[in-house]
Amino acid sequence: MATAELQAQGRGDVAEKSSFHIGMVFPMVRATLWGFIGYYAAAWITAAIMGQVLFDPAPVLFGYLGGLTGWVMGSGIWEGWIRRGFGGAEAPVLTGVDRYFRFSPDSKATATRYVVFNIISFFFAGMAAMAIRVELLTPDSTSWWMSEIHYNMTFGIHGLMMLLSVVSSVIVAGAGYYLLPLMLGVRNVVFPKLLGLSWWLVPPAVVATFMSPLVGGFQTGWWGYPPLAQNSGTGIILYGLAAATLLTSSVLGAINIIGTMVYMRARGMSLGRVPIFIWGLCAAAILLTIYAPATYTGVMMDMSDLVLGTHFYTGATGHPVGYMDQFWWLFHPEVYVFVLPAFAVWLEILSAASSRPLFGRNWAIAGLLGVVLVAAFVGVHHYFTAVSPARFPIFMTLTETVSVPTGFVYLSALGTMWGGRLRINAAVLLVLMGMINFLVGGLTGIFNADVPADLQLHNTYWVVGHFHYTMLGTVIFTWLAALYWWFPKVTGRMINEFWGKFHAWWFFIFFNCTFFPFFIMGIEGMNRRVAVYMPYLQPINDFSSISSFLLGAGFLIPLANLFFSWRNGKKAPENPWRAKTLEWHTASPTPYKVFPEGMEPVVVHRFDDYSEGSPDPVAWDKTGAGESR
Amino acid sequence: MNAKENLWRAFGELVVVWVIGLVIAEGLAAWMVASWPVLGSVEAHVTGDATTYLIWQTSAIFALVGGAIIYSAFRFRAKSMDDTAAPYYQRRSWKPFAITWLVVSIAINLANTIYPGMVGLEDLWGAQLQTEHNKNALLVDVTAQQWKWSFSYPKLGISDVSKLVVPVNQPIEFVLRTKDVIHDFWVPAWGIKKDVIPNEVRHLFITPTVVGSTATNPMIRVQCTMICGNGHPMMRAPVKVITPAQFKQWASANSL
Ligand code: HEM
Ligand SMILES: [Cu+2]
Ligand SMILES: [Cu+2]
Repeated sequence: MATAELQAQGRGDVAEKSSFHIGMVFPMVRATLWGFIGYYAAAWITAAIMGQVLFDPAPVLFGYLGGLTGWVMGSGIWEGWIRRGFGGAEAPVLTGVDRYFRFSPDSKATATRYVVFNIISFFFAGMAAMAIRVELLTPDSTSWWMSEIHYNMTFGIHGLMMLLSVVSSVIVAGAGYYLLPLMLGVRNVVFPKLLGLSWWLVPPAVVATFMSPLVGGFQTGWWGYPPLAQNSGTGIILYGLAAATLLTSSVLGAINIIGTMVYMRARGMSLGRVPIFIWGLCAAAILLTIYAPATYTGVMMDMSDLVLGTHFYTGATGHPVGYMDQFWWLFHPEVYVFVLPAFAVWLEILSAASSRPLFGRNWAIAGLLGVVLVAAFVGVHHYFTAVSPARFPIFMTLTETVSVPTGFVYLSALGTMWGGRLRINAAVLLVLMGMINFLVGGLTGIFNADVPADLQLHNTYWVVGHFHYTMLGTVIFTWLAALYWWFPKVTGRMINEFWGKFHAWWFFIFFNCTFFPFFIMGIEGMNRRVAVYMPYLQPINDFSSISSFLLGAGFLIPLANLFFSWRNGKKAPENPWRAKTLEWHTASPTPYKVFPEGMEPVVVHRFDDYSEGSPDPVAWDKTGAGESR
Repeated sequence: MNAKENLWRAFGELVVVWVIGLVIAEGLAAWMVASWPVLGSVEAHVTGDATTYLIWQTSAIFALVGGAIIYSAFRFRAKSMDDTAAPYYQRRSWKPFAITWLVVSIAINLANTIYPGMVGLEDLWGAQLQTEHNKNALLVDVTAQQWKWSFSYPKLGISDVSKLVVPVNQPIEFVLRTKDVIHDFWVPAWGIKKDVIPNEVRHLFITPTVVGSTATNPMIRVQCTMICGNGHPMMRAPVKVITPAQFKQWASANSL
């Protein structure tokens, strides 16, 4: 049966056609309540037993663990998963609107919740960025705005949140967990409950990080380097636990990505046909699974020095460089967790939008996996100024090597556009801009890889410029592109293209006005993480700050665009972009049951063949029909 | 609308775009390099040269790759979103392009590792060796603590001054220690920095070559560049680079 017939037939959606009513948010309210109760109960009990006060390290530590447990249980995990382990009944699986507001094994609901929460995190972490830029309008300490202490807390929260609750999940989770089963032609991921759990770990970690100033904050920035970590505020406990929780949440997703890709592909979906976006997710997932545990172990050892009085990194025998080694073991690969899926989104979109096969597909896959390979060996470039010169040559050479596999992505993208017929909508425009921005981000990274140049540029605004180009300039641009591109899939409606493009230009212009000056500031001797700077740097900082306010305010445009388009945008056709990948072979918005009972897709041709008269890559067959073949 | 396109002709146009792009990008690079801040030490020349060289190079790469992206998107755009006819050209790879790309990217990497990478390191290490073997090298003990710097000159009997005074053109060995957390010793004009790590002693070798002081040029200042708590941004110390004769005077006035 062909897709068109199937789509005409209607899919017999099993989802209850219930509409939203306020009672449905009960699990979220209960989770919040149990979370707070859990926090205070555990914190008070610990304080009472140890004769401490609520904002000492141990009560905060156990408070967080209690709060996390309370929240997770309240979310519906108790009746949906745990209770059964104790012999109780399992709650029925909800298929209606309810599933968005409670623990649910439905990967689409999980991904949707990620998108919403990413937007919330991005908003608050973005407000922190605005606060930073206000402080930097004047070179003095601007005490009417915030103290140096608050400034330090603010950039630490901004950085940690932007990294681990925004860029780490916007594409991997928000787009990835939604598309993973759809693109592979299966109904769900391999461990749906673990995936469901992964989202519920995020909000408590985010709330804890933003609340950390209440228990004294932390001033280390998002690195948490000892021994400053141990002597600049109890909030560091929340930093450490939040980082570990968020990484764990990422790992739960990563196992699902690898497992689903390896074990659950539709019939005929050979690895040679697996869409490039899934390869991008796979690359990110490999990195997370291997390296994340190393880093959160390091962070926990850092916390242990504070709470348990060990001396891994502190005290007369401590070795702070050991922390750096352990920390960057993951955190370098982590930056590729952010960016490889973004690369893959570019390629996925460009191929469909220019009606061309993905050029040099095997090169692109080799590029993604090549970066994974090299990623393990380059973390030292983050602390060249701290290590012995014996490490310089090897880590310089290895780091520079990363640009070779990364370049394959550009090779593939350029080859795909070349001779194609590129339809430029807002999503494609954002992809193109993201490619230009990453070019700046990547090329400025060469300076940081080159040890002689880095010895001057390290820890200056040069570096801050470099990573904002790669993360804001690349990942966030691509995030918006992905939201626009798959919006019709998820909501069944089109976004407003005019405002999409208008904002893309706004974003591109003010992004560059805000962050390009950072490179010059770095060259001119402005070090990072400073609330107070030398007056000669004021004009350029003011230019950057004012641009950043326009940049920040501009995000209201896509927010409004997404919201209004979701409510009353133009109804989307089944396949508005004429893309061939499998997710467009199901109805939009995706029904709860992705394809009808008893039917499944069989892949009979590659997905990126756009030539005239090319066959439909998907045929439909009765479930189980393949067994007899 | 499925006509065969002349892609070689398109490539010819791209070359024109490249030439224009290169002129603009290198022009901007030249302007940036011309307004470079002071390079006030032997080491600053090494690290500064590495940086300016890479600016020339990356500007060119930006023009080539960025130009290709912008040009292809523009040249091969569809008339509208409804223009969905498949283009004639449907090749999935073209070896000459891929191989050229691979070879060029590896070549650039190797070249960069040699210069400015290893050559720069050799220069820095060479300068360090000379200082280590130079009996006239000035020894300065630097102590970092939250949130101040203090300097001692053990060979001159000067201890615990809060201002860094050094003679021009004399190799200096800085011995870096911290009393509490990690700090980082950096004089922006001297073009090099080093972390100061608890329980460890680090050495940094610098030969200042430009006379001046924080008052005349704010790049000539000691600045902590590793976040170390509340006082981090203010953890600076004034620097004065003076002639050897002036330094002699200063030293005798300040020694015990
Ligand atoms: C909305 C626009 C944004 C502005 C204006 C902005 C601005 C800044 C500024 C001024 C700093 C302080 C730099 C320093 O002193 O070291 C900073 C730090 C940082 N930003 Fe942003 N930022 C923005 C968005 C983002 C995004 C989207 C991300 C990541 C996805 C991000 C990640 C970081 C990180 C990791 C740090 C380092 C924090 C630290 O030093 O611990 N920022 N940002
Ligand atoms: Cu890195
Ligand atoms: Cu400092």
